[in-house]
Amino acid sequence: MFNIIKDLFKFDGRFRFSIITLLCIILFSLLSFWSPYDPSSSYYVPSNIPPSAKYLFGTNSRGQDIFWMMTFAIKNSLIFGIITALLSRILSIFVGLISGYKGGIIDKVLMSINDSFIVLPLLPILILLKFIIGRMELTTLALVMAVFGWSWDARLIRSQVLSLRERDFTYTSVFSGMGTLKITFKEYFPFIIPIVLATTVNNMLWSLGMEITLAILGLSTVEIPTIGTTIYWANQHQALISGIWWWLTFPVIISIFLFLALYLLSVSLSEYLDPRLRIQQARV
Amino acid sequence: MKNPFIIYIIQRILQCIVVIFIGTTVTFVIPRLVPSTNPVETAIARAQMMGQYTDPKAVDEMRRVLKKLYGLEGTTFQQYIRYWGSVLRGDFGPSFSSFPTPVMTLIRVSLSWTAGLLLLTTILSWIIGTLLGGLAGYFSEKPWARILEIFTNAIRPIPYYIMALLMLILFSYVLPLFPRGGAFAIGLTPTFSWQFIRSVIIHAFLPALSLIVVGIGGWFQNMRVLVSNVIREDYVVYAETLNISPQDILYKYVIRNAALPQLTGLALQLGMIFSGALITEVVFNYPGLGFLLYTGILRGDYSLIMGITFFSIVAIAVGALIIDLLYPLFDPRVRYT
Amino acid sequence: MKSSKAAFLLRLVLLILIASLVIPTTFSFSQEKGLEVAPGIPRSETLILEDPSGRSTNPGRFNLWGGGVSSWSTGLQQLALDALWYIDPDAGIEGKTWINSLAAEPPVYNKSFTKMTVKLRKGIYWSDGVEFTADDVVYTVKTLAAHPEMSWGAQMKVNVKDVSAPDKYTVVFDLTQPNSRFHTVFTVRWSGCYIMPKHIFEKQKDPVAFDFNPPVSLGPYVLKSYDSAGNWFLWERRQDWQRTTLGMYGMPAPKYVLYEAPGPAEKRVMAQLNHDLDVIHDIAPEGVVTLKKKNPTSVTWFDDFPWAHPDPTLPAVLLNHEKYPLNMKEVRWALTLAIDIVQVSLASYNGAATISAIEVPPTGHYLEWYFDPIQPWLEKFSIKVGGKAFYPYDSSIPSKIAEKAKNDLGYNVPTDPKEIKARLGYGWWKYAPDIAEKLLLSKGFKRDKNGKWLLPDGKPWKITILSEAEARPTMARAAATIAEQWRKFGIDAVHEPTDQVWTRTSYGDYDASLIWNVETWGGHPDLFWFLESWHSQYYRPSGQPIVAKNHMRWKNKRLDSIIDQLRRRSFDDPKCIDLGLEFIKLCVEEMPTIPLMSYNVFTVCDEYYWTGFPTAKDPYTDPVPNWANSKYMFVKIKPVKR
Repeated sequence: MFNIIKDLFKFDGRFRFSIITLLCIILFSLLSFWSPYDPSSSYYVPSNIPPSAKYLFGTNSRGQDIFWMMTFAIKNSLIFGIITALLSRILSIFVGLISGYKGGIIDKVLMSINDSFIVLPLLPILILLKFIIGRMELTTLALVMAVFGWSWDARLIRSQVLSLRERDFTYTSVFSGMGTLKITFKEYFPFIIPIVLATTVNNMLWSLGMEITLAILGLSTVEIPTIGTTIYWANQHQALISGIWWWLTFPVIISIFLFLALYLLSVSLSEYLDPRLRIQQARV
Repeated sequence: MKNPFIIYIIQRILQCIVVIFIGTTVTFVIPRLVPSTNPVETAIARAQMMGQYTDPKAVDEMRRVLKKLYGLEGTTFQQYIRYWGSVLRGDFGPSFSSFPTPVMTLIRVSLSWTAGLLLLTTILSWIIGTLLGGLAGYFSEKPWARILEIFTNAIRPIPYYIMALLMLILFSYVLPLFPRGGAFAIGLTPTFSWQFIRSVIIHAFLPALSLIVVGIGGWFQNMRVLVSNVIREDYVVYAETLNISPQDILYKYVIRNAALPQLTGLALQLGMIFSGALITEVVFNYPGLGFLLYTGILRGDYSLIMGITFFSIVAIAVGALIIDLLYPLFDPRVRYT
Repeated sequence: MKSSKAAFLLRLVLLILIASLVIPTTFSFSQEKGLEVAPGIPRSETLILEDPSGRSTNPGRFNLWGGGVSSWSTGLQQLALDALWYIDPDAGIEGKTWINSLAAEPPVYNKSFTKMTVKLRKGIYWSDGVEFTADDVVYTVKTLAAHPEMSWGAQMKVNVKDVSAPDKYTVVFDLTQPNSRFHTVFTVRWSGCYIMPKHIFEKQKDPVAFDFNPPVSLGPYVLKSYDSAGNWFLWERRQDWQRTTLGMYGMPAPKYVLYEAPGPAEKRVMAQLNHDLDVIHDIAPEGVVTLKKKNPTSVTWFDDFPWAHPDPTLPAVLLNHEKYPLNMKEVRWALTLAIDIVQVSLASYNGAATISAIEVPPTGHYLEWYFDPIQPWLEKFSIKVGGKAFYPYDSSIPSKIAEKAKNDLGYNVPTDPKEIKARLGYGWWKYAPDIAEKLLLSKGFKRDKNGKWLLPDGKPWKITILSEAEARPTMARAAATIAEQWRKFGIDAVHEPTDQVWTRTSYGDYDASLIWNVETWGGHPDLFWFLESWHSQYYRPSGQPIVAKNHMRWKNKRLDSIIDQLRRRSFDDPKCIDLGLEFIKLCVEEMPTIPLMSYNVFTVCDEYYWTGFPTAKDPYTDPVPNWANSKYMFVKIKPVKR
């Protein structure tokens, strides 16, 4: 296993870049445990200082050190995105595979449930849920997002399975006496993995985007630093026209690097895990 | 072959109806669970905020009358039955926050703007994203493909709000090329004159651009992955050994096959047009359903919420239905048992 | 060869993108910049104002009385409608705050306040040529009384027994009960009961459903056109403007007036920098600083710090007296002493707040009527803590705020103590967490081992403070700071911004709320506007929505007696001020809510096309554009020669 990682690292530039970047970002967010400042406090340093030696990322209009705020924001947003992505992956893979392969009544029932989730207008429901629940913790929001985030991808996986089902190797496996579950998980998985990885990244982007939208509308817990609430506060203090560009630039740059890394990682992993590609590469 | 297919169609249509039913019920129930979005209270709160000196006795009286007018008497179940009755007759009832204006009147204007803008941007970003994704997936070794990949993926995480605002500042203020907002210039009335149409195009440019730029990324990514799956298929390798030109392989085999799941996504996305694009509408002052829906939620305007989301639910469900029915036409390998 | 088709596609896409950028610029929208606002509407003859209600969801409806009009400030209540009287929040257009508009003189009551006679002004005509007479007033009152769901309808039904017009210009009201302040329904403070045109509405079957489109104006402007999507409304001056109440003061200079919904704050600033927006309703203080730096013609109420116009409204921390332990006045006082108002002012308004320690807004003439007389009493006021007397009032706080604003933010603050008092407030309560602690300990509160406060029954003390969300950044910022200070003090306090704050507070679903329920005339000392509903007869427990303004659900016998005495006196009785002062003293002792500051609105006017806007130096009216009172601005501004 370790050898595989070493090989990938040596030969695949994308893997190298993404692993290093991801490690840096995770380390950055771990720094939050050593933060000298409480993330929900404000006005403890002079406001609106541009990035300098003393304040690496500068300070914002609320008198907070942006560097340390970012460590919390990235950590919270990361945890949020990962929880949502993981939970919804499990649901979507399960439903997509079973529904696509089995067909029949099971397919109809699962797809009815699935489509009911797709048609529900997400933003209104989130807003209304927020009114009902009141102070929503980030983890609660992640759970809610996971419940709404699996349906689209389940459909995608299902349609992929539908095409796979009619292939020769499926018939071969069936005639060889392989059970349904074994077929779906052992044979189809390698084909599904690239889509799963791609949809994971999509899902994280989507859930974070939703979190940002809710935060901008003032609907999330604004004392918890996340990327969304950072934008909310920057807005409240009119950062863009006041020229406090460093308030928004750093979260955006870190997000870009994070998602680039995730994307490149997903691409290189799916290429690696795809057995046909490995064979092809061995051929070459 | 025909018989099982017709059975399938009927089953699928039934499924669609069930989905619409469930979706509508959920959207009906949830706003009523939130006590703070009671339409009577929000109406009174707004009246009080309008600076009226409201005699305390007068407020009580208003409450009594409004409840009756809004038809909020009876249990939720009774209201539910009444609701389905009127919807099936095509009547969405009066909006509560804009009583007694009918919901359809409110929706009508915003609907045309939303549909126009989002239809255009959804289709355009799908086409561009899918094509570029296909190209990048097929020629994945080429440097320009790599750069394109990285570029599109770098754009995706930028929060849409910031992207839209930056575009606005850049192209409307720093470089005064485009207007600051609205759907058309002030003083013009909607006619079929070239002046009006030109104004609409200019005003729609920035919102459309922001939506397309953000939308391309998703389709690009998906397509690229799908294509990289397809190019390793035997028939592609075979075609390559036959020395068929790469353009032909790309367009006749690869993209055609890889685009099928993308079509499903397109159909669903088109259905979602009816939810509007709230942030676009806020930043660019573009009249649309998103803003209407949002204010409806805040004001507890149950009938407006139901009116808009009903369209959305039906559109998405029908879109998915159509795509499912047409799928076998595109992919002959797919068969329904 | 392989990539030729791909490269071709790429080039095609690039070409399309570039073409789409170039083509619109050749059709550049020069017509929107500088020359014309719309086809045939010159910019130099148009005044452009912001309507803070945003995009109208139902723009084709102008029937204010029937409800369902999402924005009253599209120019409708400012320019098209008219009412009997106006009370100016500032000095008034002729130096008098009481203005007789459609009425020729103030109302005349009989001794027992059961009959009100109004003499109307002659020579006022509707925009379609019909004369305004007492019949319009009678029709309005009767129609509203018959439809309690209409705006002011319930008030008419409850108060008016009969209304009649003995002659063409006199209206007599017979009231169902003694009400010395019935006329306030017809007196405009932001809005008021406007008069309906009888000859238009009586032809309609249903006065509620009628859309009143296009509206027939009683004011000097008529509707020229509006956006079907609800983003702008264009008004044109009437040819016969002399036959309106505003015409008495001269011709309104702008021939055209445009009210628009400009969108997020950044856009408003950009618009004014481009001279496309003459009057901004409100932006965050940072936006004002940017505007003043970059645009030499931007004008604010105070020409320098703190810039904003103080509206006669008092944002305060409302405490729910039905939630233990907020029912104890020692606890409320402790919460007050745990607030550092200097920090709150800096965080919310960048220091540009006019603070108030007492339960009336520090604006307009209230400074001389209430603030000046109460100062000596405040300085001497003490609370007993642990057997010793503690004097909580600190009149040096406004100077402290000015100092901090100068040092931390670099603003140009006034140094004259009189200026500081007028702009920043008279004083506030000391920041004394140690005294707050003693107060709590005396009531049985304890601190746990982490220093967090426990209620006398041992449970941890949690408070959630609500505020509006991104719609009002200053309030949200203030609430966040207060929550933080209470946390520092040891209470588990959390700030929750929500757009539902008004409904939730009305239902009693809150601990603390940063909103406002004290709203006054500004130009008249009477407090009844909000005070009447604080009487215990209107008390509603939590779970039921409140009646008007007693969100904190405070019951007090002394308060009831003050209100009863006020009821028996006429509106202009000078003794009302004394009763008002008694009310203020009671509130200081009981601290039912924690008053913070006046609602300062950062209205910014651009003197590029128009000059003569009201400012603190010439406070002839309120420039805040969504107030109906702002109509008096239109007769005093003059075009700039370009």
